[in-house]
Amino acid sequence: MNLKEVPLLNEQLKKCVRCGRCRTVCPVLAEIKNETVAPRGHIFMVQALRDGKVKPDAQVYDRLSNCLLCETCSGVCPSGLDIPELNEYARSYIYEKNPSMIKDALFDSIWTRPSLLRAGGFFMWAANKSGLQGFARTLGLTKLLPGGLSKAEQIMHDPVMRTARATLPVINPPRGNKKFRVGYFLGCGTDLFSPSVAIAAVEVLTSWGCEVVIPDNMKCCGLPHIANGKISTAQDLAIHNLKVFNDLELDYIITDCGSCSSAISEKRLKMLLENQGYDEQIERFCSRVHDLNTFLLDIVGIDNQGLKPLNLKVTYHDPCHLAKAQGIRQAPRDILGLIPGLELIEMQDSDRCCGASGTFSITHYDLSMKILNRKMKTIADTGADVIATCCPSCTLQLKHGSNLHYNNTPVQHPVELLALAAGQES
Amino acid sequence: MERNAMKEHLKKMLGADQVLTEDLDLLYYSYDSSFLTKLQMSAPDTVVLPRSTEEVQKIMQFAYENRIPLTPRGAGTGETGGSAPMSGGIVMDLSSWDDIVEVDAANMQVTVRPGVIHSELNDHLAGFNLFFPPDPGSSKMCTIGGMVANNASGLRAVKYGCTEQYILGLEVVLPDGRVITTGGMKSKAIKNVSGLNITKLFVGSEGILGVITQVRLRLFPKPKGRGIVMAVFSELDDAPRAVLEVYRAGILPSGIEILDSSAIKAVNEFKPHINLPDAEAILLFEVDGNPPSVEWEGTTIVEIVSKFAQTVEWATEPDRMAALWEGRSVTAAAATRVRADGSRIFAGEDISVPLSGVADALRKIRALGKKHGIQVVNYGHIGDGNVHTAPIIDPENPEEVERALKLVDDIHLLAIELNGSTTGEHGVGAVRREYARLEHGDAVDMMQAVKNALDPHKIMNPGKVF
Ligand SMILES: Cc1cc2nc3c(=O)[nH]c(=O)nc-3n(C[C@H](O)[C@H](O)[C@H](O)COP(=O)(O)OP(=O)(O)OC[C@H]3O[C@@H](n4cnc5c(N)ncnc54)[C@H](O)[C@@H]3O)c2cc1C
Ligand code: SF4
Ligand code: SF4
Repeated sequence: MNLKEVPLLNEQLKKCVRCGRCRTVCPVLAEIKNETVAPRGHIFMVQALRDGKVKPDAQVYDRLSNCLLCETCSGVCPSGLDIPELNEYARSYIYEKNPSMIKDALFDSIWTRPSLLRAGGFFMWAANKSGLQGFARTLGLTKLLPGGLSKAEQIMHDPVMRTARATLPVINPPRGNKKFRVGYFLGCGTDLFSPSVAIAAVEVLTSWGCEVVIPDNMKCCGLPHIANGKISTAQDLAIHNLKVFNDLELDYIITDCGSCSSAISEKRLKMLLENQGYDEQIERFCSRVHDLNTFLLDIVGIDNQGLKPLNLKVTYHDPCHLAKAQGIRQAPRDILGLIPGLELIEMQDSDRCCGASGTFSITHYDLSMKILNRKMKTIADTGADVIATCCPSCTLQLKHGSNLHYNNTPVQHPVELLALAAGQES
Repeated sequence: MERNAMKEHLKKMLGADQVLTEDLDLLYYSYDSSFLTKLQMSAPDTVVLPRSTEEVQKIMQFAYENRIPLTPRGAGTGETGGSAPMSGGIVMDLSSWDDIVEVDAANMQVTVRPGVIHSELNDHLAGFNLFFPPDPGSSKMCTIGGMVANNASGLRAVKYGCTEQYILGLEVVLPDGRVITTGGMKSKAIKNVSGLNITKLFVGSEGILGVITQVRLRLFPKPKGRGIVMAVFSELDDAPRAVLEVYRAGILPSGIEILDSSAIKAVNEFKPHINLPDAEAILLFEVDGNPPSVEWEGTTIVEIVSKFAQTVEWATEPDRMAALWEGRSVTAAAATRVRADGSRIFAGEDISVPLSGVADALRKIRALGKKHGIQVVNYGHIGDGNVHTAPIIDPENPEEVERALKLVDDIHLLAIELNGSTTGEHGVGAVRREYARLEHGDAVDMMQAVKNALDPHKIMNPGKVF
């Protein structure tokens, strides 16, 4: 890749007037209060990189990786820059120039192979094998890991013994008359760390007349690769997944995970596979993709019939990739609103990033925890019994936070609560 | 002093987490919002992030003894290269020192450290039903220290004036490390004419006289009512005439904004739903105060302005006010989208002319744009003659950049020719210092004398103001 030849990047770089509007909203800048982590700073560095004023090396990568890719900055930029996207391009460019910087084992060998992931989760695999410390050392990740890794291990505090794929069959027949045939884009996070979300989703969908197909050959959505500078692997994954889902006769494709749904959105995929002849396939695929919450409300048309009351106070955390990247804020709340007895208590700044951002919480543990602490304080202020959210990465992070600061308050997907109200055994 | 020794010394003094020394990190301090710093990159040798007066004092003493240039910096939203280190040395980033020290509601004042963000201060003060009135367009990002140093203001300057009117006292660390408190050591008085007004010397001093480490600000009660009049003009000259008539009627609106035809076009292209009428100019009057006086002022403005304008609308209902104001609020953003392959630049962006000369200035700026083949978008605070011009160029095309810089020079000279000023609110910094003599004549010598007295070794923010 040559950064000078990425049209979107060059057009956008011209438009940054360095006004600094993006500074004040950045959750990383709020903790590390200097310009090197400012969104404007990242744009400056991308430009310096493109213009050859800095070398594409590990140091520059390290600075650029001080970003959660949370999109908060893009939401306020008067010039319309997609700041994290430019950052991703730059990381990928540096990665390409330094293939040995992060050993391929992590993103190429493990995350692209469902079988390995399925063997209990690569983190579990890694942690069991050598502990995260050793794992990172093997992968040459240690220089990217300012935070103590042994602490980061705690995020995986709750090992899941059976993944969603190991629990659920490929074909899940509808109960009663079949309304729709639905493909489930089951992301790695849900599969490995929150299988109960997938089980609840399948329960709700099948009880509302959907046949749910979970293709066993689908792969990761590619977001972790994009975030870690591996755009070419993300491209391969996207092409693979397009084929898998387009080959199946499906009415719709759903995902419970905000990060997956943003990664497989039309805008993202078209950018990822720009000029590679996949536009038609992308359109065919994306015209059927829905976030689970909006799908249940707008297409299946679920209501509150037969739901038993759950006398719970629930607060909802907006995942960045769902709320900021896709504007989906109301649907998860509406799902919660269906449940009798459930009281939704809004936390302050519900869309402030929790600091997880996929692998960020591992690679930048200490910083991630500072960001999480702010979140946990606003959650504690609500006095909620349950924290709801729609992203497995946020879920892991919030569980960790709740473990540390908030009496182990459970963290659940709205659809899990819905399934519970519908009588699913917890 | 040798560069590495300086870095080590500062690290020892402050602790490693308050000093940046890696070459890569220093690059991030080579710019502010000015176009100038997009063209040239001048990085510091070290960045320090002090969070106490004692720390600032120690750094200053060190810089003074070793003759190291030092540039204070807030959020780096200045449009003049003011916080960019033109001669290297130390950049002192004060943005992380952001404590609101005390809200003294009983005495209508607040004391803050320099890094507090303007809008965050006002959000905090809203709880006390108070506010700090100057309102720069950069309210959501600029620091109070930067506002004091640049004597910032905004679209409500017509009624509420500039930052300087609200500064009751300052704590300043002088170049040699001495700390002074202006406005009375212990004073909490609002009215105070005791002694020479040293406070005003530091307001607008753009970091060339000392480091502002604490600010005591006078506050106003928050007005309860607000209303907006939008007036559309088919003749540009009628807009300033209408403004004058409104003043003559004894009304001082809190803001009077103008969009000329170039801005109207840019807004409509950017956000077609706003659908501003095709006109030579649009004026937006904002009035605030008690609801009955707001009502009276608004309806009187409508009466007066109707004599000049094609259409006039008055609103007090929040949604409608927001709709009328939307065009103005997106103008700056719209200017960045006029060209797919380019953007607006922050250069020649802040001239100020007499009220009677606004229409003339707008026309002449457009003609200058034509002369240099550069598209311009004009908007601004017509109520006090402050015109913001946004040249639209491809910033990566050297030939266009050269033409734009000539245009910018012409715009600055035009301001002086029209008995105005090269800058109404953004300041001089590195980009307008060449006009100092032309604007101020021998008064520049007096400025120089003050500077020499306070900063004999010329270490404070070299290359700025004059
Ligand atoms: C989009 C946009 C809109 C703007 N709108 C307005 C507007 O409406 N009105 C207006 O007046 N300005 C406006 N500005 C300009 C700018 O925001 C102001 O001048 C602001 O006050 C600068 O604050 P800052 O914290 O960013 O300071 P910086 O840019 O960091 O510094 C500005 C100057 O102050 C000095 N300085 C900073 N802090 C200190 C300190 N503590 N002690 C001593 N010197 C110090 C610096 O050395 C420099 O010379 C705008 C800028 C942008 C990008
Ligand atoms: S808000 Fe946008 S234009 Fe302004 S500095 Fe940030 S990226 Fe650049
Ligand atoms: S994406 Fe989030 S973390 Fe990254 S620069 Fe923008 S606001 Fe900061």
